[in-house]
Amino acid sequence: METVTIHVLGALRTYCGGAEQLHTSARTVRAALDDLERHQFALYRNICDETGAVRRHLNVFVNTENVRDLNGVETKLSPGDVLTILPAVSGG
Amino acid sequence: MADRVVLMIGTKKGAFVADAAKPRKSFSLRGPFGAGIPAYSTLIDTRGTPRLYASSCNPFFGMKILRSTDMGKSFKETKSAPAFPKDDGRALANIWSLEAGGGKKDLLCGVEPASLFRSPDGGDSWEMVAGISNHEHARKWQPGGGGLCMHTIVRDGNRVHLGISTGGHYLSEDGGQTFRAANNGVGAGFQPDPYPEFGQCVHKIVRTDKAPGRLYMQNHGGWADWTGPGGPRPGIGVLRSDDYGQSWRSIAKGLPSDFGFPIAVHPHDPDTVYVVPLEPTTRTCPEGAPAVWRSENGGESWHRLTKGFPKKETYFTVLRDAMDIDELKSPALYFGTTTGQLWIGRDGGEKWECLFDALPPIHNVKVAVV
Repeated sequence: METVTIHVLGALRTYCGGAEQLHTSARTVRAALDDLERHQFALYRNICDETGAVRRHLNVFVNTENVRDLNGVETKLSPGDVLTILPAVSGG
Repeated sequence: MADRVVLMIGTKKGAFVADAAKPRKSFSLRGPFGAGIPAYSTLIDTRGTPRLYASSCNPFFGMKILRSTDMGKSFKETKSAPAFPKDDGRALANIWSLEAGGGKKDLLCGVEPASLFRSPDGGDSWEMVAGISNHEHARKWQPGGGGLCMHTIVRDGNRVHLGISTGGHYLSEDGGQTFRAANNGVGAGFQPDPYPEFGQCVHKIVRTDKAPGRLYMQNHGGWADWTGPGGPRPGIGVLRSDDYGQSWRSIAKGLPSDFGFPIAVHPHDPDTVYVVPLEPTTRTCPEGAPAVWRSENGGESWHRLTKGFPKKETYFTVLRDAMDIDELKSPALYFGTTTGQLWIGRDGGEKWECLFDALPPIHNVKVAVV
């Protein structure tokens, strides 16, 4: 079965055994995050806080679309989609 | 035999370690560790083999604890960081304090939103301390300008003192299981009731083994001129307790301002205490002239220490956790500024010298002789 690819940011690979990509059969962003919580908890904790919310300064993309402009974590995933989680641009 | 003076310096861009041989002539600097990430708290744990800790408060990926077992040559993340239980509804926003706990490898950690965590294994696992984190007052505390933070943990045997902004001073007498508000004499300027049961904006609390029961507090002062409900509250910023924190009284008379953040007590003389008065509006040195003020009689009178500081046009801020004092026979004070200077005050603050002039903004400074 074709899966969704989760692209792991370089800074976070230390939390998932160095993997550059992970794969999930989840069909929503929330289900993909739940999958990470079960199988890659250290990585998950970097992405979501204790309440399950995606951390405030992270952006989640399905392919090239920010889920904020779609249906948030309820955005549906289809086989072949790429899920990318990136820190927002900020600093000083 | 202890022969090195070690400093941990938590900055906006990570933690630094500086050390020197005991004469403290020259400090070498390493870091930043946790590069680019604010370190709001550090700890030099001298029990057994020394271990150095720093909170690494990552605004993107959450809170981490860094630990060094090689005297600050390298740091690694502990296996986990404090986290609220999943059904609690709160999420960790910052790590404000790290202190050694009662057991050999116990650590205590104060966080934002104001809560306490305990680790039995040097920071690899953590559990929330319900006695304060779920205290009946906890959901009534309000955030101050820096957030709703538990920033001060002071241990004294079975007593544990906590400073919460804005929650006030909480005291445990059962080793940190249960807590009660202990704010008798601790004023608040930002509400009509000048002496509420809780809700004060405590900035820092210190104690010394040399005087059981004695504590000093830097509270949020600067309310002498208030003319609204409740009237003026002069001198509420600098306080002393002689009954293990059950009650407090002002010792601010003679200071140019009762507003400030850090406070430090001499390791060998409990009557000698240091503050850094700041103007309450700008939170910088009064009239642009830095000074540390020292009392040698428990706060009855104060003396201005300025030798080595610029005499004018200097408007730095010293944050609550950014001043410490070492335990050598003639101790030196150390403080860091939000403009990245690290100062040493030799001979108990008689002579000041800038050790490092251009670090990132400094949040905290800790010193130990190891």
